[in-house]
Amino acid sequence: MADHEHEQHSISYGLYFKTWVWLLVLTATALGLGYTHLPEGLKAFLLICTTLAKILVIAAIFMHLRYERVNLILLTFVPLVLAIIMFSFTFPETLGTVTHLIQVR
Amino acid sequence: MDSSLAVEQQRILASNWGGGKSPFGTSWSKFMMWIFIISDALTFAAFLIAYGFMRRISPAWPRQTEVFNMTLITLMTFILISSSAVMAMAVAAARAANPKLAFKFLCLTILGGLMFLGCQAFEWSHLIEEGARLTHNPWGVPQFAATFFVITGFHGFHVFSGVTILAIVALRAAMGKYSADQVENAGLYWHFVDVVWVFVFAFYYLL
Repeated sequence: MADHEHEQHSISYGLYFKTWVWLLVLTATALGLGYTHLPEGLKAFLLICTTLAKILVIAAIFMHLRYERVNLILLTFVPLVLAIIMFSFTFPETLGTVTHLIQVR
Repeated sequence: MDSSLAVEQQRILASNWGGGKSPFGTSWSKFMMWIFIISDALTFAAFLIAYGFMRRISPAWPRQTEVFNMTLITLMTFILISSSAVMAMAVAAARAANPKLAFKFLCLTILGGLMFLGCQAFEWSHLIEEGARLTHNPWGVPQFAATFFVITGFHGFHVFSGVTILAIVALRAAMGKYSADQVENAGLYWHFVDVVWVFVFAFYYLL
């Protein structure tokens, strides 16, 4: 039993190491995207994808969310949903005629 | 007593919310930490959306690569991700009832946090020397430096709080007054600080 438990814990150390390597790969990808000259919309979309991949990995593995009940997992999506609502209410204001309100001093 | 009221009371007590049960399957402290993280995430979401708004309505936004030392920022990201991985190992060691190993991992996490804060202090003092203020800056619209100081400052304060919490947990682990739940809750907060930095790194420095 003790041996089995020891094995379990060394598995989790290995998993955290692998997760760390994957997070570094995703960070390098995001950094590469930052230096490429893509259209801003596409760049924003790709950066959102790498960022969401990173936070899903951190939340699922480092924060043990994959072992939690579904209702707690759903609860953690609340900020994302509310942020999307806030963004979709404010973003249209930046389009159209009312741009360039801020002046360079 | 009114019989319908008694029936209603029985129904509530028998439900998952009647007390004595844990509908989320966690300890109360872990659940409170999650609630705190969710509310704190909303604060940062508001900051980042406000930043995006101001950037969109500015005539021009300075190129980050010309203002910031991207090598330093990448190093800071590397430090924070690494400390998060070490923190996860500290929680595993605490769950395995190995306080000595947990203490070592916690010290490494604290070291990562302190290195991050050192890099940030260096970055801030450098930018302030170049003339960046909340109200104006040499590179463009005043909102450029204002959003920078507010967002990274708020995040940096979270890192500082995290280091303080981890120091308390590490001391308690060293004293033997240690509980795996405590280490896990401190870990949840530390990973959240890492998650916020992932957003700031992508949207403030890279986009």
